[in-house]
Amino acid sequence: MASIHLQNIVKRYGGFVGVQNMSLDIADEEFLVLLGPSGCGKTTTMRMIAGLEEPTEGQIVIGGEVVNEIDARDRDVAMVFQGYALYPNMSIYENIRFPLRMRGIPASEHDARIRKAADMVELGSFLDRKPGALSGGQRQRAALARAVVRQPQVFLMDEPLSNLDAKLRQSMRVQIKHMQRQLKVTTVYVTHDQIEAMTLADRIVIMNKGAIQQVGTPDEIYSDPANTFVAGFIGSPPMNLIEGSARDGRFTAPGISVPCPQFVQGKVTLGVRPEDCHVGGDNLQGQVYGVEPTGDVTYLTVLAGTKKIEVKAARDYRSDIDVPIGITFDPAHLYFFDEGGQRIRGTA
Amino acid sequence: MATARKSRGESLLLRYLVLGGWALVCLLPILWFLSIGFRPRTEVITPQPIYWPTFSLDAWHLLVSDWPIAQYLRNSVIAVVGSVIIDLILAIPAAYALSRYEFKGREDIGFYILSTRMMAPAIVAVPIFFLFKTMGLLDSVWALMLIYAAINLSLVTWIIRSYMLDIPKELEDAARTDGAGDLTILREIIVPACLPGIITAAVIAAIFAINEFLFTLLIASTSNAYTMSVALANFTGGSDGIIYNAIALVSFIAFVPILILVILIQKHLSRGLTMGAVKG
Amino acid sequence: MRTDAPPVPAGGVASATPNRSGTPPRRRSPALRKAFPYLLLAPAMIYLLVITLYPGLFAIYQSLFVVKFVNWTWTGFGNYALILKDREFWAALGNTALIGGISLAVQTVIALAIAYFAYRDPLIRGWRIVFLMPMLFMPSAVAFIWKLAFNDGRVISDLLIRLGLTGGNVDWLASVWLARMELIVADVWQWTPFLFIIFVAALQGQDQEIEEAARLDGASWPKIFWNISLPMMRPVIVVAVTLRGIDITTMFTNVFVMTQGTPGGATETMSYFIYRQGFRMFNFGYASAASVLMLVLTIIIAQTVVKRAFHSGKK
Repeated sequence: MASIHLQNIVKRYGGFVGVQNMSLDIADEEFLVLLGPSGCGKTTTMRMIAGLEEPTEGQIVIGGEVVNEIDARDRDVAMVFQGYALYPNMSIYENIRFPLRMRGIPASEHDARIRKAADMVELGSFLDRKPGALSGGQRQRAALARAVVRQPQVFLMDEPLSNLDAKLRQSMRVQIKHMQRQLKVTTVYVTHDQIEAMTLADRIVIMNKGAIQQVGTPDEIYSDPANTFVAGFIGSPPMNLIEGSARDGRFTAPGISVPCPQFVQGKVTLGVRPEDCHVGGDNLQGQVYGVEPTGDVTYLTVLAGTKKIEVKAARDYRSDIDVPIGITFDPAHLYFFDEGGQRIRGTA
Repeated sequence: MATARKSRGESLLLRYLVLGGWALVCLLPILWFLSIGFRPRTEVITPQPIYWPTFSLDAWHLLVSDWPIAQYLRNSVIAVVGSVIIDLILAIPAAYALSRYEFKGREDIGFYILSTRMMAPAIVAVPIFFLFKTMGLLDSVWALMLIYAAINLSLVTWIIRSYMLDIPKELEDAARTDGAGDLTILREIIVPACLPGIITAAVIAAIFAINEFLFTLLIASTSNAYTMSVALANFTGGSDGIIYNAIALVSFIAFVPILILVILIQKHLSRGLTMGAVKG
Repeated sequence: MRTDAPPVPAGGVASATPNRSGTPPRRRSPALRKAFPYLLLAPAMIYLLVITLYPGLFAIYQSLFVVKFVNWTWTGFGNYALILKDREFWAALGNTALIGGISLAVQTVIALAIAYFAYRDPLIRGWRIVFLMPMLFMPSAVAFIWKLAFNDGRVISDLLIRLGLTGGNVDWLASVWLARMELIVADVWQWTPFLFIIFVAALQGQDQEIEEAARLDGASWPKIFWNISLPMMRPVIVVAVTLRGIDITTMFTNVFVMTQGTPGGATETMSYFIYRQGFRMFNFGYASAASVLMLVLTIIIAQTVVKRAFHSGKK
């Protein structure tokens, strides 16, 4: 069993709190993504699971066993690093072999395992080369092979794709997901790229400033955000967040008037995604600020008061700037957040 | 790295005047001394200096017959190579500790090691002399080996430390998650990764050891332990005075290996000489 | 530090289950982990302490005695009192500073000049090898080169005569400043390359765009050198000059071979003074006292100058 359980984990560096009181359950065979901006604590959390850092408080349980006291070398965890961390003086073959040697796996098994791992990442013909002779994508696959060869209980991946160019990133994403499904290994994946998170994860844990903001499937995160941070972080272009006030079933802000549920009262923030905004109507009245055609869709920026709203318009939409325009918000996809940024949920 | 720039500002004439001038200053004494090595003794010290001597292998014959030149060479090699090996064995773990670990007293210990480089040999000359006298090690190559190792230890440690600092920490994290312990990491990951630094440190330490004069002078009193450096000072032929042509020849014998070693590490020379402070 | 461990979720009991490879996980004692760096440093430290601490203590101890062969007579601070009144001691100190200082200054200027002209020259590789050569000879060999050139072989004098700069032969060891000149020339000749190599490395590492911007702004090359390149090199110059300066204060070989302190002690450096007192006149106690004083001086210099120069290198 390779479930992971984090219990009240805290990490402090002197006075600075890197991770605050975090509790999390990761199921066996699950692909879990830790998502968040730089410095949010996601990498620190993963390094604590790996054993490269010790939690200041709390317990880490892997496979039913408390591992706090167990050194990184003895946890059955394999890690893929952002910079690949391939041993420069060894051939790829030796690189992949290294964990097998360290773990005392009998030498007779080495060759078969290494070749199997190399084939899985399509590096079979590069085994003799040294890391310096490989391209970025090849190195990344070599790092993957090295992690896979051990058949560990857990995979940890620290932003493995961020050093690759966009095209390579996409193909590697698919390959990683495929591999994980094949090998059925619990995987924790750290990234700041929401597209990676959305496409790879079974569940996403969004973090900010050391605290979990929300845990859920990609669908849940996208369509049911727990606070303004999550709402604004996921989605490209990000959700429009408009501050205003709600009274008696109506939300108002400069240039904006929208019906809202009765339980939404007082100073609130309205959230609406660009794809849920449509040209026409009068929920919002403003002027055209910018029009950006991209081929398959046109991004329209509208100025209402001092606020700029992003709208995903039809691909053939064009307009001059400063032209007055009205926007309708899809009432089925409106989100409201209170003064603290928390999502207001309730029955109408 | 050097792009040819003709119109950089200063005139070409001035530049080549200065550089050419200093090049002459460097080369002429060397060439002249070389000629000293290949002329008969009678033409070395004369009322009027001779600039176009007659070629002669006098010095060579003298060296081979009258002086245990092979012995001197052997002593130099043993003492130097031995001291470098000692230094590497001691310095690599020390450099590893200083570069990769956080612990109390790290700054102070590092500074102490650095400061031993600053110590003038003369300060410890008398005590070391007595120490080796009581240990009965006077006049032995082993004593020289120990001294050279001590003199160069801080240099070697700091050079290697500088190169170890360049190794990305990720490499160690990866090795650790792969299951390697500290010593394995040191042996299989760190040392290969900083090999240029180790070689640089070894070469510079070797050169300093070959050059060492004061301690060698005091410790080695008979040709049992004479090295090349000090043997020079004793090429006297009784009433004949100093045998310069032999001295010149030996100087060049020592010069060649040093030149080769330096060419080997020339890219790392600046970093080595400043113990990592100035990267080449 | 540890919160009270809540019960482990159902499905597994916390026990030391071996990982897949079959070896039971090791729990490393935190004590060993903490001690590890010290253990790594121990051999080197012990070696250094024996070679520095023991002699240092021995020197301090011996300096309190007057030593004549095997007779040690207690004299307390007698040696120190004598030394501080000893004209020769102060002369040696002064000579070291004087000869060393002038030599260092000359080397630095020359090294800066040739480094600046050479570092971007297409022939840099050739220059580097040629300029490096003086430093590749054994110091004792270099001492003999210049001893022959100045004193015994009279070559320098001869050249000066041919250039019409002097009338007759010059006896370099007769005059205080001529003798000092010898030493300075030898030291500058041999050790300018040390600074040169470092300066070239620093210059080559400088960002060219800044200099190019200054040229476009109309600055002439001396101005660029003085106002831009040189200030950017300052930390490097400090480190290099400090290193070389410390080595210069230990000047011994050249003195031993070329002048032996003549005339009248005008070229006797601290190291030679200690050597002479200890191994020519066999006043070991006295020599030890001088060593101790030199050590104190070194520590002071190390704590102030060196610490600052190497501060960035220690991080």
